[in-house]
Amino acid sequence: MSNKIGVAPIAQDKIKITVDDTPNGIAVRFVGDIDMEDPSIVLDPLFEKIHSSVVAQKIPEVGADFQNLNFLNSSGIKAVAKWIMKLAMLPADKKYSIKIIHNKAITWQVTSLPTLTFLVPGAVKIE
Amino acid sequence: MSSKPEGYIEIKFGPRWKYISPARLFIQSFVAIAIQDQAKADGIAMAASELLENAVKYANGEDTEIVVQAYPEEGLIVAAVSNYASDEAIKGLQALYKKVMTGDPLEAYINQMREAATRTDGKSQLGLARIRYEIGANIKLGISPDKKVTITIEVK
Repeated sequence: MSNKIGVAPIAQDKIKITVDDTPNGIAVRFVGDIDMEDPSIVLDPLFEKIHSSVVAQKIPEVGADFQNLNFLNSSGIKAVAKWIMKLAMLPADKKYSIKIIHNKAITWQVTSLPTLTFLVPGAVKIE
Repeated sequence: MSSKPEGYIEIKFGPRWKYISPARLFIQSFVAIAIQDQAKADGIAMAASELLENAVKYANGEDTEIVVQAYPEEGLIVAAVSNYASDEAIKGLQALYKKVMTGDPLEAYINQMREAATRTDGKSQLGLARIRYEIGANIKLGISPDKKVTITIEVK
């Protein structure tokens, strides 16, 4: 595991997820498609692990890199929203930010991902 | 809408999850060829996929069907997804439809996302709100006396 929070790569169905260290924290990278019937089986434990580790280690920023994700169904959006909503519950001294990295050449990313920034104002940015 | 589409496809399958992805890709190709607009094709494919996911999840019986019609001169695509459903599923869908079709599309979508994040029943109930906001679709819900549910989207 080559990341400071000890998350192993995930490869399940048509999705591969890796976590890398970055200068400001970590980045979660998604490659493939999230179109399975219940993505929460994969995503909920992953986001919970990331959230608890990032808070414990006071990591300031988590990148969520969707650039190579071809499709994300609404059940997958729900899982991402659930993760983002955890930020609203944190006290000020434990807060971190989520930076969504998107691919402007993929239509759903342009229409879907910016809406996630409205969930917890100020906690999520997009580039 | 024109009286007759320039082209259409009709896909009927037993409600199995594994057929949704190939149906989405086929619909994406069909729309891209029919109206020469890749972004619209991507949006329609996303919407069709969301509707088919719901149809497969809540189908009562075997036939799940999608018909996609193209009106290239108007840049219009009409897609209709049908399945049979139980009384309980129909009641839930009617309530959801009323909720997500009310008010500003972005606000309705954000509210559904916030609600989805706290749900514990495994449902997301985001699909219709996503379709309405992200592709600006006109969405109609039809229910026949024999409990066939048809959701039709029109995108221009």
